[in-house]
Amino acid sequence: MLSYTARRLAESLLVLLAVSFASYILIGLMPGDPVDLMFADDPEITAEDIARLKALYGLDRPLLERYGHWLGNAVSGEFGYSRLYQQPVGDILMPRLLASLQLLGTSTVLGLMLAIPLGVLAAARANSATDYGINLFCFAGISVPPFWLALMLIAYIAVPVAWIPAGGSAEPGSGMLETLRHMLLPVLALTLAEIGGFTRFMRGAMLQTLGQDYMRTARAKGASARRQLFGHALRNALLPLVTVIALSFGTLFSGTLITEAIFSWPGMGVMIYEAIMGNDYNLALIGLMIATAFTLLANIAADIAYAALDPRITARGGDDGP
Amino acid sequence: MTAGVGRGARIRGRFLANRMAMASAAVLSCLVAIATFAPWILDLLGLDAQATNLFARSQPAGPDHFLGTDEAGRDILARLILGSRASLAVGLTTAVTAAAIGTVIGLFAGYFGGWLDRVLMRCTDGVISLPLLPLLIVLSVIDFDKLGIGWIDGGSGLTLIVFIISLVAWPTVARLVRAETLSLKSREFVTAARAQGAPPLYVIRRHILPNCLSPIIVATTLSVGKIILLESVLSYLGLGIQPPTPSWGNMLTNAQDYLFSAPELALWPGLAILTAVVAFNFLGDGLQDAFDPRRDRR
Amino acid sequence: MATTHTRVLAARAIAAALTIIAAAAICSIPFWSTPSGAADKSRLTIGMSQYPATLSPVFESMMAKAYVLAMARRPITVYDQDWRPTCLVCTKLPSLEDGTAVWETAENGDPGIAISYTLNPAAVWGDGTPVTTDDVLLSVEIGQDPQTGALNAELFRRIDKVTVQDDKSFTLHMNKRTCNFENIAGLALLPNHIERPIYEADPQSYRRRTAYDADPTNPGLWFGPYRVARVAVGQSILLERNPSWWGPEPYFDEIEVRAIQNTSALIANLLAGDIDMIAGELGLAADQALGFESRSGDDYQFLYKSGLVYEHIDVNLDTPSLTDLRVRQALIHGIDRQAISEQLFQGKQPVAHGNVNPLDKWYDPDVPKYDYDPTKSVELLKDAGWDAGPDGIRVKDGERLTLTFQTTAENKTRELVQQVIQNQWRAIGVEAVLKNEQPRIFFADTITKRAFDGVVMYAWLSAPESIPFSTLHSSQIPTEENAWQGQNYPGYNSPEMDETIDRLETDCADEDQRVLWSDLQARYARDLPVLPLYFRAEPYVLPKNMTGLRPTGHQYPSSLWVEEWRLTE
Repeated sequence: MLSYTARRLAESLLVLLAVSFASYILIGLMPGDPVDLMFADDPEITAEDIARLKALYGLDRPLLERYGHWLGNAVSGEFGYSRLYQQPVGDILMPRLLASLQLLGTSTVLGLMLAIPLGVLAAARANSATDYGINLFCFAGISVPPFWLALMLIAYIAVPVAWIPAGGSAEPGSGMLETLRHMLLPVLALTLAEIGGFTRFMRGAMLQTLGQDYMRTARAKGASARRQLFGHALRNALLPLVTVIALSFGTLFSGTLITEAIFSWPGMGVMIYEAIMGNDYNLALIGLMIATAFTLLANIAADIAYAALDPRITARGGDDGP
Repeated sequence: MTAGVGRGARIRGRFLANRMAMASAAVLSCLVAIATFAPWILDLLGLDAQATNLFARSQPAGPDHFLGTDEAGRDILARLILGSRASLAVGLTTAVTAAAIGTVIGLFAGYFGGWLDRVLMRCTDGVISLPLLPLLIVLSVIDFDKLGIGWIDGGSGLTLIVFIISLVAWPTVARLVRAETLSLKSREFVTAARAQGAPPLYVIRRHILPNCLSPIIVATTLSVGKIILLESVLSYLGLGIQPPTPSWGNMLTNAQDYLFSAPELALWPGLAILTAVVAFNFLGDGLQDAFDPRRDRR
Repeated sequence: MATTHTRVLAARAIAAALTIIAAAAICSIPFWSTPSGAADKSRLTIGMSQYPATLSPVFESMMAKAYVLAMARRPITVYDQDWRPTCLVCTKLPSLEDGTAVWETAENGDPGIAISYTLNPAAVWGDGTPVTTDDVLLSVEIGQDPQTGALNAELFRRIDKVTVQDDKSFTLHMNKRTCNFENIAGLALLPNHIERPIYEADPQSYRRRTAYDADPTNPGLWFGPYRVARVAVGQSILLERNPSWWGPEPYFDEIEVRAIQNTSALIANLLAGDIDMIAGELGLAADQALGFESRSGDDYQFLYKSGLVYEHIDVNLDTPSLTDLRVRQALIHGIDRQAISEQLFQGKQPVAHGNVNPLDKWYDPDVPKYDYDPTKSVELLKDAGWDAGPDGIRVKDGERLTLTFQTTAENKTRELVQQVIQNQWRAIGVEAVLKNEQPRIFFADTITKRAFDGVVMYAWLSAPESIPFSTLHSSQIPTEENAWQGQNYPGYNSPEMDETIDRLETDCADEDQRVLWSDLQARYARDLPVLPLYFRAEPYVLPKNMTGLRPTGHQYPSSLWVEEWRLTE
C-alpha cells in the first residue's frame, strides 16, 4: 500500500509538471501581454515606453526561458507578485483558498446530509411516484444553469428578505453568525447544484447492493426490510460515495467560479478567472497548479480509501455467517 | 457476440416501459426536429430571428409576437427556435466528438496495455485533474493564429467551442471503454480470435468495440446535457456562441442584464435549457437501466 | 410500516414544496419590496463594478482606482464639473497674464514654457506632515525614472526640470508648448517622508514595495477628506474620516466602496439594501439603468450625465471598398442614430455628430450632420458603382459589399447596438459580418495593431479640450516600423488635418483656437475617418435624499468632491 501511494504521488508530480508547462505556454499564447494592455489604456504612451516596460517585466525574453525562470522560483517557494493586486501571490492565495473551501465544505456536508436520505428513500421506493419525484428534483438541480440559479436566489430571496445579504463576505473580525449569514445563499446555490449528483449516485449504489447476492441471502434469512436497508445496503453503498465526494472536491474551483462571481465571494475560482483575464501570470499559474494538485490528491485519496475499504471485505463482515 | 437473440428485445422492452425515458425521447425528438428544420419553420410562421425593431423592444406576448420581443425588439419565439440549433449542435457534436476521442484512447490503452496504457492513462488523469472552467477560459481566448490553426476560430464560435470542450471532455469515456476492454480481452471469444492470429485492429473492431457500445451510448447521452449547460456558462463569461447567432445560452446571458426590468426575458431560454438538459438526463438514465446486464440475469 | 408510510408522505410533501418553490422562482412576477436599509450618516456604501488593481497613484490607470483615491488624496489640478481647469491642491492656476506662466526656450532649443504653482498652505498628510515641494520633487523623480515603470511618461518627458522657490512654491520647465498647460493632474503628489526611502532602496522593485499597497492604512499616505481604514483585497475598501483634513468637513463618517462585477448582482445588492448607491463612473450601462428605473424609479434618485465617453465606429481606410468617401457616407446615412439614442437610451445618450462633445468649450454647433436617410445611402452606393445583387447585398465587379464588424464581446450594450446597425445596413444592401472578441484581444491586438479589415466599434474616454493628436494625426498611424505607436487606427492621413492639429497645440489665442477647432470638426465630418455614434451617459443611482453629488462626465470622477455629498434628513 505504501509503495502504491508513493508511486501514485510521484506520477502526480509528473502530471503537475506537465500541466504547469502546458498552462504557461497556453497563457503565453493569449494575445496581449500586460504591457500591451497598459498601452491600450494610455493614449500618450510611446514605443520606447513599451520596450522599456517589456524589459522591466521580463516580457522580452523567449517563452521557454521565462517558464524555466518561473519554475525555478516556484519550486523554491518564490511565487512572485500578483500583477492585479500588487501583493505577493501567497498572501492573496491563502485566504482565497480558505474561503472557497469554506463554501465547498459546507455545501458538500449539507448536500450529503440531504442526498443520503433522499437516495435511500428513492431506492427503497424504486419506480414509485416518490422515486420519480426525487429524480425530477435531482435532475432539475443538475440542469439549471448555475448563474441563473444564483441570480434567481438573489432576486427572490436576498432582495425580499432583509437579513439575507445578496453578496459579499462578512467583514473581517465579525462573529460566526455574521459569517453564516453571508454564506447562506452561495452555499444554497452550490448545494442545490450538488445534491442531484449525490442523490442519484446514492440511489444507484443502493439499488446495486440491494440486488447483490449477499443481500438476497440476508433477505432469505428473513432480515427485516429496515435492517436490510440500513444494516447492509447503506453501509456498502456509502463506500463508493467516498470516490464521488473526493471527485467533487476536485472540481472545486471550476464549480464554484460562477457562484463566487455572482455572490462576490472572495474565492479561488473567481480569482483564477480574473487572473487569467487580467494576464496575471503568477497568480493564474499558481492558482491553476493548486486547483490541479487538489484534484490529483483527491483522486489518489479516493483510490486509496477505496482499496483500503474494499467492499467485499465489508460485505463479509456485514454478514453474520451461518 | 455474446448477446442472445432475446437480449436486444429485452433492452428495447425495458426502455419502452420506462415512462420518463420515453417522454424524454419524445421531447428530444421534437427539439431535434425543430432544430433541423428551424429556417423552414420560421419561414412558415413568417418570423425572422435576426430582425431588430427599435420601436418594439421588450414587448409582452401578443398576437404579433407569441412570446413577446427581446431587448432589441426581436421575436423571442423565433430566436428560441433558431437558438435550438446552436445549443443542440454544440451539445450533440461535442458529445460525439469527445466520445470518439475517448473510445479510441480507451480501446488502445485497454487492448494493448503496457507502456501505452500507462502513458494514455496518465494523460487521462492529467486532463481530468485540470480545473475545467479556467482551462476552457484560457483555450477560448488564446490566439489560434499563432498555432497555425486560425480557421478554427471563425464565425459564431461554434467550431471553437466544440473543439475546446471536446479536448477536455473525453476522459470519462476513455476510462469506461478501457475498463470494458480489459474485461472483454480475457473473454473466450476474444482470446479465441487472437489465438487464430486475427490482427489487433480487426479484433478491436469486430469483437471489442461492438460490446463496448452500450456504456459509450449512455455516457454520451448523459454528457450532452452537461455540455449544453457548459455552453450557457461560457456565454455568461462572454466566451460562448457569438452574436448575431442566437443560442439559448447567450439569450439567457443577455436576459440577465434585464433581470430587474424585464424578468420574463430570462424565463424562456432558461426553460428551454432546463427542458433539454433534464430530458437528456432522463434519456441517459433510461438507456443505462435498459442496457444493464444485471437486469438480464434477474 | 406506519413509519414508512409517514416517510413517503413527508417526501411527497417535500417534493411538492420544492416544486412550488421552483415554480415561484420561474414565475416571472417580481415580488421584491422596497429597499430595506436606507443610507445614514454613519456609513455610505458605494457599489461599483471594478476593483482597483493598486492604490498607488503612480502605476496603472484605471477608473476604479481614480474613484477611490479621489476621496483620500487629490491631484494638484483637475477639470471640474463644468469642464474648466481648477486648482485642488494649488492656490491659483498659472496664467500668461500674471506671469505665472512664461514662454521660454527649452534646453534643446525648442519652444518651451515655465509654469508656477503654489501648494495650498493648509495641506497636510494624514500624519500631520505638511505637503511640500519635496513631495513634488519625489513624484517627478519617480515619474522620470525609466526603471520604475510609472504612468504618464509623456507628461514627465515634457518636464525638463523643476525649480523650487520654497516649501510650497515650485516651477515646472516644460520642453513643449501646449495651450491647456494649466492642467497637471498627471503629477500625483507622493509623501516624501514615507515613499522616498522605499523608492531609494531599490527603484526597480519600487512598484511592488510601495506603501500604498504594502501598508495602505498608514495615515501618512493620504491627505483627502478620508483615509483608507481597511482593505479587503478584491472586495472592498473602507474609508474613514481623515482628522487632519484641511478642507470642508465631509458629511459621512465612513465610506465603503464595494466591488461587485456582475451588474445584475449590483442592482440586487442595492435592492437588498447592502449597498446605498451605484457609482455612475463604473456601474450600470445606461439601458440597464433605464430599465431598472422604469420598475424601481420611485425608490432611488437616478442621474444621467452624458459625457466624454465617445462611442464610434472606426473604418479601416486601407480597405478598398471603404476608401471611397461615398461608401462611408452611405454607411452613416444608413444608421438611424436618432432612433438608437431615443429608443434604446431614452435620449440620455445623445447622438454624436463628431468627436467633440457639445458640452466642450470648443464644440461647433454648425458642424455638418448626417441624418438617417436610407434612400440617400442607396443613391450614394449606386453612384459608387455598387448595384443590388441577387440577395439584396450590393455587388461591384463581382465582389459583394461585405464588411467585418468587430467590437468587444463583454459589452452587452455595444453588441445590441451592433446588431441593430447590422440590420439597418442590410436594408441598404451592406452585409456586416460580426466577429466580436474579448476586450483583451480586441484592445491589445485587433485595433492597436490595425488587424481589422472592416469596421470596429469602441469608445474613447478623454479629458475636456484634449487635442485628438494621437487619434487623427497621420504620424500616429500604428505600423510595424513605429512599433505600433499611435492610435490613428483608421489610418487617416490628411495633411490639412495634420496642420490644424499642429497649430492647435501652439496657437493659443482664444480666437485662433475657436477657428482651428471648428476647422477640425468640419474636416472630421467631411472626411469621415470615423463614424460617430453617440456619447455615453453615466447613470448614477443614489439614495432618494442624497444631494451634492455632481457627475463630471469626464475622466476625473465625481468623488473628487466627496465632501459636498449630503443626505437631507
